Amino acid sequence: MARTSAWRSALLAGLVAAGGCNEKLTTPGRCPELCPSNSVQLVDTLLTGADVADTTARGYVLTNEATYVAASSLDSLKSVFLIRFAPVQTQWAQTATDTVQAVYPPDSVFVELPLVFRDTTVHPRIVFYRLPAWFDTTVTYAQAQAYFVDSAVLDTVAVPDTGSMEARLPTGLVPGPGDSGIVSIGARVIADSPTVVAFSSGHSRTTWPQLWYFVHGQPPQDSLTRNLVDTATFTTFVQSPAAGQPPPGVLAIGGLPAAHSLIHFSLPGVVVDSAGIVRATLILNLVRPVVGFPGDSFFVNAVPILRDYGPKSVLLPDTTFVGVAVIHAGQTGTVELDLARILRLWGTTVGDSMPRAVMLGVLAEGYTLGEVDVWGHSGSGGGPLLDVTYVKKHEVGVP
Amino acid sequence: MTRTRTSLLIAAALLAARPAAAQESVFGVRGLGFLAQPISAHSAAMGGGESMFDGNSAVSPASLAAWQKLAGWAVGAQSNRSFNPGSGAVSLNSMRFPTFGFATPVGYRLVVGVTVSEYLNRNWEVQRADTVWPRGSAVPVADHSRSVGGVSDVRFAAAYRVSSRIAVGIGLHTLSGSAQTAVERDFPTDSTYHTFAQVTETDYRGFGVSLGLFASPTKRLVVGASARFNGRLSATNPGGNASVRLPSELAGGLYVVPWDGITVATTIIHDSWSVAAPDLVAAGQLPSRDVWSVGVGAEIALLRMFGEVVPLRAGYRWRQLPFPVDTALFVSERAASGGISFSLAGGRANLDLAVQGGSRTAGTLKESFTTILAGLSIFP
Repeated sequence: MARTSAWRSALLAGLVAAGGCNEKLTTPGRCPELCPSNSVQLVDTLLTGADVADTTARGYVLTNEATYVAASSLDSLKSVFLIRFAPVQTQWAQTATDTVQAVYPPDSVFVELPLVFRDTTVHPRIVFYRLPAWFDTTVTYAQAQAYFVDSAVLDTVAVPDTGSMEARLPTGLVPGPGDSGIVSIGARVIADSPTVVAFSSGHSRTTWPQLWYFVHGQPPQDSLTRNLVDTATFTTFVQSPAAGQPPPGVLAIGGLPAAHSLIHFSLPGVVVDSAGIVRATLILNLVRPVVGFPGDSFFVNAVPILRDYGPKSVLLPDTTFVGVAVIHAGQTGTVELDLARILRLWGTTVGDSMPRAVMLGVLAEGYTLGEVDVWGHSGSGGGPLLDVTYVKKHEVGVP
Repeated sequence: MTRTRTSLLIAAALLAARPAAAQESVFGVRGLGFLAQPISAHSAAMGGGESMFDGNSAVSPASLAAWQKLAGWAVGAQSNRSFNPGSGAVSLNSMRFPTFGFATPVGYRLVVGVTVSEYLNRNWEVQRADTVWPRGSAVPVADHSRSVGGVSDVRFAAAYRVSSRIAVGIGLHTLSGSAQTAVERDFPTDSTYHTFAQVTETDYRGFGVSLGLFASPTKRLVVGASARFNGRLSATNPGGNASVRLPSELAGGLYVVPWDGITVATTIIHDSWSVAAPDLVAAGQLPSRDVWSVGVGAEIALLRMFGEVVPLRAGYRWRQLPFPVDTALFVSERAASGGISFSLAGGRANLDLAVQGGSRTAGTLKESFTTILAGLSIFP
């Protein structure tokens, strides 16, 4: 009997194992016969009046906070840059027990400027000028022209293709004893044709302008030498036309001082509540070709607003919802930004209370010259459009 | 020992009560789903012919009268299917649990029991590729739709042996369940579009009552009849509420023992699913139809193995399905079956095994299937 039970149990186990519980359910749809009766339906709608209010504010990153300084002779942008270095140290010693030596006069003086951008199709040269130690930091491009006179020229140096540019300056540039110890220089660009050159500023995190001066000891220690370096404490550039508030009907994004544009939307409920937005494109019409270093590209982004305080609105810190577009200097026509994630966010319980507004700006402000000027809702060139593709409310399950 | 077995039985039943997650047919995507059959492996082996009289099946509440001691049972079914949607045959597999239940005599004449069965199977999964034209340009899309769940039929029934020749039964049915439907559209070649995905949970509720009668005019013949009347099946999800009128079911059967050891049985069932048509049409679906189901089978209990009688069974069934796949294009199903039964544990348990092979067709659409059923009955 025991043998019989064991035999049966083995048979049962074998049958169960042979049956196996494996599942393969997915069927290639043969429609309409063998597909769900209510399929996904896409709807495409172009909202022409979605932008109901917009404004531009400038100054989020100031020119003297940028990571570069630019000298430009372009027709669309004239600029010169101004640099003030830290006070030159007046004494040095090789070791703590050595005789203290005076720096002044140095053997030679160099200014080193790390290159950020140059147009390789022209042959730019930088003309350096000596500026008053305490030049006016609020000076305009027009006012700065008073500094750029022939009598103040220090040197003219060809811009290298890569690396850093070094300019040998008169040793007399280093202030003598009793002076403030401050060295300030200015520079403009000259070339075969209009161009722009940019160098790292004092706000660059990797390289920055430096003032080198080389000294040697006094007898009997005149064999001792030392290279001393000064870093910049203030860097800026002034430009014409000056970046300011755009004319009525125009929204500015980027540039320096950096501009943000705030757009408030009014969206039909069917769009926001559909929760099925698969694509939403904000189409901005450019007022003029995109400004920027020739051949350069940068990013414009749209960030949802968490709390609306106008230009000082609190932005949603979650970068997941940011819409981004790549912009090329000189670009014309339109700029298109993907707002699908933002509109989806507004359709959720969490996002429902958020203002229907986005802040447009340039990604990595202060790192690019790029500026985009587009028509606002009251502009004459066609305001922002919102092209939304969404899935029509999809009811499933209820027969 | 009895307590241990009963606990195991209850545990097995609770395990099986989880929502089934297996697609039973590609045709289940239409209408209210795939219409399940609440029959045991024993009845399935006989083509469903004995389902009217089988205490393990939930066709007639009078069938509980067959139990003369505490019993519990459960059935598992592994189905392998082949379907050609026109782009090449695909193989599909699924596992499900068609029915399980308990019954116990109360006194000499009364038997009460609970049966949990599949009623509507709403498990399906469909993938398709298409091209849409948003914004005036062609965009390839990949749609993936999936439904998991269904409607279960919980029957509380009682059967009463009026005499040695007559038994009656009554059942109260609670229909309940849910289906989670997921829809996803992906844009595989265009990253400017974001994937759309939506999941909706729909709950189902309904009630019904069934009546059954067995009469045995002679020692070798039993005649059975049953009727079931359903209310409306209500469906609720965040998108709203709806209800569908459910059919009444009339069934009749014969159970004949022409010679000792040989049994022949047949069951014929009619469901008035056309009553659901107006509600389905109002919901944008195609109208349903009344359906017939016919099963006939035989059992030969002459073979002996290991000192026990080993019944051999065979049968054939044919049925119509109520929900069309296209206008006036309905599905019919036919299957041949066979099976065997083993008595275990000194007669305290039965293992019923059945194999069904058949097809479902609707016009040129054809799904072939082979289903292996295993049913375990325990009499502690």
